Amino acid sequence: MATNLVVAVPAKGRLKDNAAALFERAGLALRKTGHERGYSGVMQGLDGVEVAFLSAAEIVHQLNSGRVHIGVTGEDLVRETLPDVEGSVEFLRPLGFGRADVVVAVPDCWIDVVRMADLEDVAAQFARAHGRRLRVATKYLNLTRRFFASAGVAGYRIVESVGATEGTPAAGTAELIVDITTTGTTLAANHLKVLEDGLILQSQAHLFAARGAEWTKSSLRLRDAILDRLAKSV
Amino acid sequence: MAAESAREFEALEAQAAALLEIFRQGGYEQVAPSIIQPADVLLDQIGEAIRGRTYVFTDLSGEELCLRPDLTVPVSRLYLERHPRADTPARYCYNGPAFRFQPRGVGGTHPREFRQAGIECFGVTDRDSADAEVVLLVADAVKSAGLKQFNFRFGDIALFYALLDALSLPERWRLKLRHYFWRPPAFHALLSRLAKGEISNGEGPVAALTAALADEGPARAEELVANYLETNDLPLTGNRTLGEIAERLLDHAADLRSEPLPKEVATVIDYYLAIESSPREAIDRIAMIAKGAGIDLGPALYVLSRRFDLLEKRGIEIGKASFATEFGRDLEYYSGLVFQIEADGDKTSPIAGGGRYDGLLRSVGAPVEVPAVGSAIHTERLLASVRGLA
Repeated sequence: MATNLVVAVPAKGRLKDNAAALFERAGLALRKTGHERGYSGVMQGLDGVEVAFLSAAEIVHQLNSGRVHIGVTGEDLVRETLPDVEGSVEFLRPLGFGRADVVVAVPDCWIDVVRMADLEDVAAQFARAHGRRLRVATKYLNLTRRFFASAGVAGYRIVESVGATEGTPAAGTAELIVDITTTGTTLAANHLKVLEDGLILQSQAHLFAARGAEWTKSSLRLRDAILDRLAKSV
Repeated sequence: MAAESAREFEALEAQAAALLEIFRQGGYEQVAPSIIQPADVLLDQIGEAIRGRTYVFTDLSGEELCLRPDLTVPVSRLYLERHPRADTPARYCYNGPAFRFQPRGVGGTHPREFRQAGIECFGVTDRDSADAEVVLLVADAVKSAGLKQFNFRFGDIALFYALLDALSLPERWRLKLRHYFWRPPAFHALLSRLAKGEISNGEGPVAALTAALADEGPARAEELVANYLETNDLPLTGNRTLGEIAERLLDHAADLRSEPLPKEVATVIDYYLAIESSPREAIDRIAMIAKGAGIDLGPALYVLSRRFDLLEKRGIEIGKASFATEFGRDLEYYSGLVFQIEADGDKTSPIAGGGRYDGLLRSVGAPVEVPAVGSAIHTERLLASVRGLA
């Protein structure tokens, strides 16, 4: 059986479980082929579809390079990673899971800071008092740069953080953070508050199509069939 | 454009050798700072706008490094390595690659790897002479490389600071305007907000606290803020101090009670920042604005004028140059003279650029402020321009 459409699906975690349930409900259960710990599979009920189980971040890269046709991943990762989002992928369908807000959060003892505009003043004051820029801990380098630039905030620098970002202000390695939050509990537990206009992105998982993939008639037909089943299963 | 072929590389090297020879004859010692630099120092100086375009990476030991995005900071660090007390004048010249990410489609005049040849002059306290020396030497260098037609564009950051100092403003607004100078849209918004008196305190407990602070001194304000944090179970975390939080609330309380910035003051700043003309005309207009506003710019305007005299005496055609008060607002480490050399009236791809940066050495570790001025030539552009005219 020739492969006409490659579908990338997260290989682990909650995104994986949610994606599996989503396709199952649509009558398109995902089945691993070969070794149980392998990374490829098929979609039951649709011949010609190959399923690639990948990390959410890797799915973004594979969509960008066109090595997979469609894929499930988070909007936050897509917007962070791709320099030209609209040119690289098409948003086929929001999936209603994997919801997370990317936000700007500062220590809640900063009672003088409420909005993004306050940050530039704080940056100026901080530079005078400490001789350096405000540090923003985040893994979202590009989202942060774009958002801060649009808010007119420039007196900062980013320190990359890939885990336990919420802890960096208390640890003294950063003054504020840009991170994802779902309920706000972790932020509150770390004595951080979100700025009033500090919502960068309301993210959720989407089904994306790669504009750069090889789209044949049969791959388009398979894509439409999947979208159709997903729409009907809601 | 970047030396992607061996032949191109050789042409650039030959040009650079000639440039360096002129710099050395001018009394500048050739140095070669490392291409790989600690990211920390550079990024603290240049900010996120250029950081976004800097090649930053982490090596196997976990150290964060970058490919230098320009040579001014690396040469400044080299000076401090040689003179940790920063007490000796030094003149350095260099030629070598610098690296910046370029978005797709900007074309050959902005390659991601480009070669800069330049000079930096440290510790010379006669600033006007040092400024003129650097401008003249770079002009000589591009001329000898074969560039026949070029124009200067000048600016002066110190003059703007002198204007702010001379205007009657609360100190907190002066500091703010100085800081926002580097972000023109935010500067403009701030100025019109101050002039309209659009400052609101909002509601809620912090507003009440701010109101309560209004008549207090810094020590008492700190105490009140500490009490507030304690009562509301807000532990003081991170590097910002209680004093800094209290200071901003005090500033805000003062803003709430003060009259808006007088319209005339805002207008003077707007008029000043709109000046773009030949240097002599600009000086006359600035003098007129100052006279009209009844302020004294002190020595700053005289310095500007003397600098142009020095340059003119040494053969620079000042009448053909332009001076813009806005110019230089995008590189935060400049503190005085800024200039660039343009060919074919192309403002966005200058052949060379430079200026005075008296604050930079201190912020990369010098124990005292060090007068510093320098300039770098974009050698690919110079070569292209010379070939275009040949």
